[in-house]
Amino acid sequence: MVTREAWLTKLFNAYLAGPGNALLSLFHQTASNPKEPWADFMVMQILVALLVIATLFVLRRKLSVDRPGKLQHIFELIHEFITDQADEQVGHEGKHHIVIFMTLFIFILAANLIGAIPTFVSPTQSHYVTAGCALLAFLYYNLAGLKKNGLWRYTKHFFGPIPALAPLMLPIEIISHLARPLSLTVRLFANMYAGEKVTMAFLGLTYLVVPAAFMGLHVFVALLQAYIFVLLTMIYVAGAVADEH
Amino acid sequence: MKKKLAFLSSALMLSALPMFAADTTAAASSGGTSWLGPASAVGMAIASGLCALGMGKAVAGAAEGMARNPGATAAVRFALILGLVLIESLALYTFAVIIMFNH
Repeated sequence: MVTREAWLTKLFNAYLAGPGNALLSLFHQTASNPKEPWADFMVMQILVALLVIATLFVLRRKLSVDRPGKLQHIFELIHEFITDQADEQVGHEGKHHIVIFMTLFIFILAANLIGAIPTFVSPTQSHYVTAGCALLAFLYYNLAGLKKNGLWRYTKHFFGPIPALAPLMLPIEIISHLARPLSLTVRLFANMYAGEKVTMAFLGLTYLVVPAAFMGLHVFVALLQAYIFVLLTMIYVAGAVADEH
Repeated sequence: MKKKLAFLSSALMLSALPMFAADTTAAASSGGTSWLGPASAVGMAIASGLCALGMGKAVAGAAEGMARNPGATAAVRFALILGLVLIESLALYTFAVIIMFNH
């Protein structure tokens, strides 16, 4: 299958093919084409991570209480937004889990938006990347629930409100919990993939106004999908760490 | 009105009869045409249409709620956006299945 490659992927494949194959063999995998072990989504993921880390590094050095700069304003805005949502959804303990929410939000937002730059590809257009984010959210909310409630009390959540119905509720609850990372994955992947395909389809028809309108819609959907991913993660964490008063 | 409806529906169903003739000749000549393309298109169209109906109800309810109680605008808008995103993801599951079948 021919995949179109971003210029960055071509650079990686030209110079870093050896380390790429070495990394794959660490996990006992071999590339389907050993001369080109780097895929678009892998290279773009690393680029997004490095860009976010570099931005936060620059931000940290410029933090100031008296004269905040523009970058600090932007990140304060994001932090306040996520903290308010976390307080609303999770309640008292929202602040304990703010790290995962901010990480997921900033990474997914940056990953979605980097596709808008002409020669870059969003890593979230690949179902592997979105599955990674969804599995992270899934593991996190289960571990948070286990840590807070202990094994037995967390399993009791799966039995539903009436103990007599437990044999019926347990498979239903397990299936619905397993459907959560699946739906997170498919929602983010399909939104990003479809947005780009629609823009490309209209670009094939005409290069006047219409593709730009669809690209604008794609950028709006990118922002919205990042927010929805984090919102749903908050709701799942809230369900897992809920106390029954 | 009922007689007109009965006549129209039976005319519609009878007009589908030529389909049986077309089926066998196409299969015999080219060794089996693939219905994957048209089937994906029709499936996606049905999914999008039904999701659009659901979204219409959601937006109508939200607009009416915001008109009746402007103080609750923020809460209604939040519920609206959340509902729209969840409904849209159902249409996108169909899209994902189509991609799975076509690769």
